[in-house]
Amino acid sequence: MLVKLLNTLLMVVVALSITGVIHRTRAVLAGRRGTRFLQHIYNVNLLLRKGAVYSTTTTILFRIAPCVYLGAALMAFLFIPIANLEPLLSFHGDIILVAYLLAFSRFALILAAMDTGSSFEGMGAAREALYGALVEPALMMGLATLALFCGDSSFAEIFSEGQVLDVNLTVVLLLVAYIFVMIMFIEGGRVPVDDPKTHLELTMIHEVMCLDYSGIDLAMIQIAGWLKNSIFAVIAANAVSAVLCFHWEFAAPLAVLGAGISVGVVESLRARNKLSRNTTYILTISALSALVLLVGFLLMQDIKI
Amino acid sequence: MYLYSLLVAMLVVLAIFLAPKRHKVWVATGAISLASLAAIVASVVALGGEVVKIAEFETMFFGQESLAIDKLSALMLLIISVASVATVLYSRGYVKGYLERFTSVHISMHYTALVTLVVSMMLVVMSSGGFSFLFSWELMTIASFVLILFEAERHEVRRAALNYLVMMHIGFLFLVAGFVMLFNVTGSANFADIQHYFAVAAPLPLFVILFIGFGMKAGIFPMHIWLPEAHPAAPSHVSAIMSGVMIKTGVYGIIRMMQAIDHNRELLFTIGLIVLISGAVTGLWGVFLAAMQNDIKRLLAYSSIENIGVILIGLGIAAVGHAAGSSLVGMCGMCGALLHMVNHSLFKSMLFFSAGNIYSKMHTTAMNEMGGLAKYMPVTAIMMLFATVAICALPPLNGFVSELLIYIGMFNGVGSGHEVLYSVTGIIALSLIGGIVVLAFTKLYGVVFLGSPRSHHVAECTEVDNLRIVAMAIPAAFILMIGLAPQYAIRPIALVAEAITGSVNTIAVDHFAPTLRIFSYVGIAFLVVVALIYILKRRAQRSRVITEGPTWGCGFTAVNTRMQYTGESFSEGLENIGKPLMKDFVDGRAVDKDEIFPLPHGYRISHKDKVDSLLGRWWVEMMYRINKYVMRLRTGRVNNYITFALIFFVVVLVLTLFGIL
Repeated sequence: MLVKLLNTLLMVVVALSITGVIHRTRAVLAGRRGTRFLQHIYNVNLLLRKGAVYSTTTTILFRIAPCVYLGAALMAFLFIPIANLEPLLSFHGDIILVAYLLAFSRFALILAAMDTGSSFEGMGAAREALYGALVEPALMMGLATLALFCGDSSFAEIFSEGQVLDVNLTVVLLLVAYIFVMIMFIEGGRVPVDDPKTHLELTMIHEVMCLDYSGIDLAMIQIAGWLKNSIFAVIAANAVSAVLCFHWEFAAPLAVLGAGISVGVVESLRARNKLSRNTTYILTISALSALVLLVGFLLMQDIKI
Repeated sequence: MYLYSLLVAMLVVLAIFLAPKRHKVWVATGAISLASLAAIVASVVALGGEVVKIAEFETMFFGQESLAIDKLSALMLLIISVASVATVLYSRGYVKGYLERFTSVHISMHYTALVTLVVSMMLVVMSSGGFSFLFSWELMTIASFVLILFEAERHEVRRAALNYLVMMHIGFLFLVAGFVMLFNVTGSANFADIQHYFAVAAPLPLFVILFIGFGMKAGIFPMHIWLPEAHPAAPSHVSAIMSGVMIKTGVYGIIRMMQAIDHNRELLFTIGLIVLISGAVTGLWGVFLAAMQNDIKRLLAYSSIENIGVILIGLGIAAVGHAAGSSLVGMCGMCGALLHMVNHSLFKSMLFFSAGNIYSKMHTTAMNEMGGLAKYMPVTAIMMLFATVAICALPPLNGFVSELLIYIGMFNGVGSGHEVLYSVTGIIALSLIGGIVVLAFTKLYGVVFLGSPRSHHVAECTEVDNLRIVAMAIPAAFILMIGLAPQYAIRPIALVAEAITGSVNTIAVDHFAPTLRIFSYVGIAFLVVVALIYILKRRAQRSRVITEGPTWGCGFTAVNTRMQYTGESFSEGLENIGKPLMKDFVDGRAVDKDEIFPLPHGYRISHKDKVDSLLGRWWVEMMYRINKYVMRLRTGRVNNYITFALIFFVVVLVLTLFGIL
């Protein structure tokens, strides 16, 4: 039980600190001093104390959607172990539940965006729906690769201590980690797929969907965003640590630093994709993950290449 | 006893004609409820273990046949019963709007066909095969044909109905051929003899022929093209029962065949592969096309095709897993597929009922005319949202449970390292389907119910009558039950799956029953968490300033409702990917980029299935072309005709002389 609590606590710390690392990396690379490490938490705290403006077009669905968004992300969050720790919740097949809970959170926000009747938010919703749909195979393939290596379909089992992995699989696991970081970019609305810092609504995806949210609702959406990021970051870190040093003391900082720095570096160094190229970009990741699975399968067969 | 209730139901049909116009529905309700009640009782007995024998008789073509309920029939009967009762209850409100326009006989015909359809579907799943099966199969087709023809004065309805009738008879021809082949070899045409046939004769030809015959009804790619034509034409409750239940009889036939192959591992593997691949193709094709439709009922029809694909993926995985000797994979796939059959019948009925509510108020199913309907039809909106969440396979509702089982089967296949490639094929297909379904249904729901009205008709809409709401609540209750307590719902399904796979394998059930129990707790916890967050939010907001204003227009103030995202624009991104699947029909001209001051434009685009033009139109054009040559022979002169007859005789004579004939 204590292990489970430690895991949950660590997950929360990871979720809270990734955004800080991202901001700090960006600042360093741009030659700025940057904001406080916990500035994003202060911002959300401020939002939590604010009132709200609701559009007259909207229905009750608009007010419930952020709760569903946060609730689904939170439930998914509780299934994720950090390396050899035990997650709070676990059952056989939970990797599928996590994927579909994340889909549910997306579903809720898409409908909320459609509820405002704004063409901008409809645009964001359409893009989010499309990219979410296309990234789904990548997510499942990544999970299937892990399931292939460990012969099980729950996070707790896949990342349990007893799993001894062949050295051959190092490259494949690193690629799996890469895929999950990529999925984090896409689901988290990050460069190169989406740019949360842009000033033109026409080019945004995730941010434009929550244009009409303010106060507590916006805070909930941001918290859910942290949770979602941390889910993918921790899975990626787990995959890496499975070949290096399978221990939570290693995996937790790796999740924070790996995800945070990679997002920060990519956001500082490259521009956002042209929107029409995003589908190709995401499908490439899905194809890559299928390829990784295939290579992993061949390696498992002990075929000497 | 059950047989008598069916006979009574058929006799009551006569009373429909005698009853006054307004009360015909109650006669039909009585008949269908009676048949359904008896069916439920009989199937509960059958699920308990024993095969319920209804009747045995000698038929003139195929010998000894019988009506009996085994476990698979029992499951089908349950599906049919629940959906039929909901359908007939719903039909009262829907048909009410037509009572003025149509004659008494017209309404009677409709209800007679409805009762006949229900009874014939029940006969189909009870029949042991051969003549009685084909007879009830044909009865089912004709009844549904009459049901589609409800609004027969509309040209497109007649066209769709005729299209349906032709397609079904092509399928029927294959079935007859299959059964005759079966009869020739085994001396009887019962499903039970397929096993014997597979043992003594080449199995694949018979399988493929029957697969095409059943696939025509089920809507398997490329035989799905009747679905998107027939459903928009049919009244909504008919679409509900056809899409929710009738197409499942096709899947039922396929399962019956798979049941027979059980002992031949190699063959089972081949057939599993065929089913898996056709399921993946059907599912992906259906969901892609569904996402691009701008008509509510066409979208729902394509989504039915997609769900058939999901069911077939489950069946395929079950067969492949079973053939590889992994009973866990086999059980998971089979249970998932069977449960998905149940689930789809529930949420698809609800969705078609919702579409019917909208149609009876808006008098159109074009979703780009709608928007903001949630404010005017709140109950329908909630019901539809519920069904939408279920069909998107989102936890904690029932759609997720069945897909979870299929996924667990496939992940086990991956984990075991034996059926990796087949499982991966299934995973890729199912995950892509799952993703695009969310797109298709957020589009449907968002464009129809959310935002602001796109036409003034929306403001005239009001909520429908209570009976229709009750009819929709019946499937809703089952959806909730299966979603929140899957560990109980799986028990009867597992019984059926065991009966089909022939393995008495409680290990598999014990394996995923705990999974489902934890899942049900997680599902309930999820709902509690969401409710808690909402309550906390409301509580916190009580002391804050909450204001209302117009939607933020990003600095643009002259927003009007036509500027909202339409169904077409919502799926534009996907259309760029899915171009090869369809043919675009453009009416009017889009605004050109160079037009600085654009004049008013009319622009309408519709996407037609490419298979439709390949299969449907191509044949017609070929027939025209061949006919043009054949028509040259029709000169109209008697002497020419006599010459033809002479040539014919000479040819026959010559052939006989050389001993060829």
